Amino acid sequence: MTIAATECLLRMYDEHYELEDYQSGVPRWCTGCGDNAILTAVQRLCRDEDLRPEKTVFVSGIGCSSRFPHYMKTYGFHGIHGRALPVAEGVKMARPDLHVFVNTGDGDCCSIGAAHWIHAIRYNMNMTVMLHDNQIYGLTKKQASPTSPIGLKSNTTPRGAYLEALNPLTVTLGVQNASFVAQAVDWIPEVLYDIIKAAFHHKGLSFVRIIQRCPEWLPDLLDPWLHDPQRVLLLNHEQGLHLSPAIAKVYKTQEQHDPANLNRAREIASTLDPIPVGILYRNPDVPCYEELRKSAQLRSSELIKAGLEKEFDKFTVWPQKTEKRVASTPSSVHAS
Amino acid sequence: MQGGPQAYAAFYLTGKRAGGELDAIDGLNLRPALFAAYRDLTKLRYDFPLVLLGTGAGEASVQSLSGLFDTALHEIAQGGDGERLKRHALRLEQEIRTLAAEGAGGTLSALSEVAASRLTTKKDDLLRDSLTRIRAVLKADGELVDCDQGMPVRFLKHVWQTVQGKKSRMFRAELNRLAVKLSDILKAAFVRSEEGRSAASLKASIGPAHEGVFDFNAMSRLLGKAAGKDSLSESRRQRIRWLLSVLQSQKFFPRSDGAGKAGEAAAPYSFVFASCAAALEAYRARQPKMVELAKAIAIAELEIEGEYHEARHDSFFADFGTNGLDPRDTALFPDYLVSLNAAEMTPVETSKLAEVLAAGLPMKILVQSDDILEPSPTGDGHPTFGSRGRLIASSMMGSGEVYVLQSSASNLLRFRDRVLSGLAYNGPALFSVFSGATGNAGDLPAYLMAAAAMESRAFPTFVYDPSAGPDWASRFHLEDNPQPELDWPVHSLAFEDEAHQRVPERLAFTLVDFLACDRRLAKDFARVPRAEWNGHMVPVPECLAHAPNGLPEKLPSLFMVDRDNVLQKVIVGSTLVREARRCADMWRSLQELGGIHNSHAERLLAKERAAWQEQQKREAEARGSAPAQAKETPAAVPGAPAPAPAPTPQQAEAEAERPSDEPYIETPRCNSCNECTQINNKMFAYNKDKQAYIVDPAAGTYRQLVEAAESCQVSIIHPGKPRNPNEAGIEELIARAEPFL
Repeated sequence: MTIAATECLLRMYDEHYELEDYQSGVPRWCTGCGDNAILTAVQRLCRDEDLRPEKTVFVSGIGCSSRFPHYMKTYGFHGIHGRALPVAEGVKMARPDLHVFVNTGDGDCCSIGAAHWIHAIRYNMNMTVMLHDNQIYGLTKKQASPTSPIGLKSNTTPRGAYLEALNPLTVTLGVQNASFVAQAVDWIPEVLYDIIKAAFHHKGLSFVRIIQRCPEWLPDLLDPWLHDPQRVLLLNHEQGLHLSPAIAKVYKTQEQHDPANLNRAREIASTLDPIPVGILYRNPDVPCYEELRKSAQLRSSELIKAGLEKEFDKFTVWPQKTEKRVASTPSSVHAS
Repeated sequence: MQGGPQAYAAFYLTGKRAGGELDAIDGLNLRPALFAAYRDLTKLRYDFPLVLLGTGAGEASVQSLSGLFDTALHEIAQGGDGERLKRHALRLEQEIRTLAAEGAGGTLSALSEVAASRLTTKKDDLLRDSLTRIRAVLKADGELVDCDQGMPVRFLKHVWQTVQGKKSRMFRAELNRLAVKLSDILKAAFVRSEEGRSAASLKASIGPAHEGVFDFNAMSRLLGKAAGKDSLSESRRQRIRWLLSVLQSQKFFPRSDGAGKAGEAAAPYSFVFASCAAALEAYRARQPKMVELAKAIAIAELEIEGEYHEARHDSFFADFGTNGLDPRDTALFPDYLVSLNAAEMTPVETSKLAEVLAAGLPMKILVQSDDILEPSPTGDGHPTFGSRGRLIASSMMGSGEVYVLQSSASNLLRFRDRVLSGLAYNGPALFSVFSGATGNAGDLPAYLMAAAAMESRAFPTFVYDPSAGPDWASRFHLEDNPQPELDWPVHSLAFEDEAHQRVPERLAFTLVDFLACDRRLAKDFARVPRAEWNGHMVPVPECLAHAPNGLPEKLPSLFMVDRDNVLQKVIVGSTLVREARRCADMWRSLQELGGIHNSHAERLLAKERAAWQEQQKREAEARGSAPAQAKETPAAVPGAPAPAPAPTPQQAEAEAERPSDEPYIETPRCNSCNECTQINNKMFAYNKDKQAYIVDPAAGTYRQLVEAAESCQVSIIHPGKPRNPNEAGIEELIARAEPFL
């Protein structure tokens, strides 16, 4: 319920923003880092959607990627390692009117934060999650992460990583209630932007894995894909991405994939080469946790106080003798 | 003229019964033959009595007694004793129906208790058990209402309360939310103010249990140092206080805590009226308060968002509502309910009604007609057929923004959802209802009279819903009438003849059947002795089919039954036949509005069909005379070169070769990694999407161009040919630039 004039007035003075309105400081990422591409795409999204900075919040954990909130002139929360998602969920629960974005890295999300990741998908709260996956711990100078490819030599795996890399897409698609799963690469900025935009417009938790280069510690790892456009599988569909003619001309390996098709999405997610790029899965009908749990009760200070009192009363120890009298005549407590 | 056909004709023309062959029907207690089966309504399971369910029933807040019993039986009558339960339940239902017909008022639970005690006078444990179990599952409870004169008002008021209750809950929740948020602003301002940071108020906020633990003076001092500069401006504080007082003193909806606090005049306004004049007066008197409240809500919403700017909004809100409120805003407030009786409407009231409806005020008006056969005020002897309600209804449909519903009382339950949507409609609504309680129908119950008025087209049901779509086809509904495509609905009737044989008959229910129920018109009917039943008499519809001039060859007649369900035949005076013709005309024009036998559509169809046939004929002739020209559309001329597709702009752009000696960047592919801009930010820069392009190739050296190309993460920088051939080490640079050309 709202008075018609309010909406008109708000729209009449609706502010329009420039890219600079969302920029805050010079990023301290290494020159050439893929995080810059993600930052640019997100700033473009904010500008194009006219997101009000005071209604937007970026939450992150720890890692190179997690410096992201510092570079956005919006609200931000640089959290603790692996806990970006729970913090973001708390923000969304208390303030469902905010646009919530989460920036997390492959170590932050898939290692220490893996449990939160799984459950955040199941909770399906309305937020946009970007997994900056550079397949290495960069901030601490080259240690293997869960998504490092097998055989990768790093400071923690000097003889090469022994394990197959974890695939964040198949994991996400295997969790109940997954509602939006996409993959982007930092070196096709146009598609990166389109995917983040689609993720933003999806109602529910949208999970975007962004494969990004680390020019400092793994400068050549992704070169074969970078230099051969045919090794990128572009997913397009009427209900998914619409490719521009210029992109469609360069990236000829394409597939018509209906994002409603979960089984095919899981197959595509398992493909490592060519790298699939696009919207793998989308289901707008999965309920959001914050709506399932929305209380019709107004959270007035009286209500909160009453709730607290009730909780405290559970732990209050009344003297045995006075218990009965308390129940009958409360004033007698002071007399005794 | 003596006896036989002459006497009948004389009666037909003059209404005089000569000879004595024809009987007056006054004392015979006849009713239309089709009513033979409805002698005792309490034995039938039909829509009445209704149960007006209490709050919480949602949209289905009115249900029929039999519907509730069906639901209950569905729940319990499953096992081996299902049949017994069903039988006993139906006895209970019938007993309650009898009580209601006897005029016993009260709730369903009270009446079912009385009914159960009446049934269980004899010792019958099984019956007692059944009744206990059935009454246990009949959870829904509410007032029981039979189809009588008061029913339409109670029905409408009950549904209206359902709609208003929903509105009220939403509105109140919003008001409470706004009030809490506004108070929060004031509270936050207090906490940050000097007074709020004083030792005394800090102490008060901790509470007595732990106040000894803290040094409030030190706390106050520390907080004072860290305090921000911005405080609530006095004008904003005043505004918020004003908002809170307006929101909390509103009288449009009841307060959440039921009755208002003592001393406050918080009794909410009443929105139920018995005349349009009173409703209109109240509306006008409350208008300023309504605007003030809407304004307060709008400002409060902006304040809460932190979006209220005095420079922008003060002047806007100073004039707020001077031209009335937006209809969407008006819809948030309660609707007025006005119950009128057509017989008691004064000319002033009629004009007020038109005023209210034409102005689009949020009023829901019930015009109840109890007698649609009252003589017309012009004194020409025509019955009015509820012309007041009918006229208002049809003229209001013309205005296009009034929800109009006409229905006889017997059909109201089936119209429940339509009544609901009329009450929820964002604008005025008119409900024209015929109660059937004419007071002139002898022992016929109001329900049957109401149903007869609808069957006979004397009081057709229809709905005009302006919110349903842009055109008449989607707005106007006539299909709830029985057999709407016919002039008169036709039913089958079987009776037993002298030889005890079953004779099936198809009978139309016409206006004359309805008129025959009214005692005032008995003089226009005459019973024909059984011996005279012959081919000189035809059913009324057949008579209507002939031209109305002069004396017809065959006289109109209809079947009726007496108290013992013995079939009788009566002939009808010509005045009533004339009325039937008039009624059929009105019905046909209504049919046209409802898209049934629409003359425009039929004419258009005939025209198109003729044109189509003409074309078919011509084509057939053309085929016959010139078979060689069978191919109508010639294919492309063979040999002519197909026109080359024009290049699209994108193709043209892509194919245009860039001059390879000018340096360039494939800007759309740039991923903003800062490599090139750090080499030379005069030469390389970002566009508005933060993607790199070459601003000025002359702003740096060829070496920088080549280095940028080499360091570019996505290899999109093309250094071109050197501008200065004398640059140091140019040979080597050209070689390095080779892969990026």
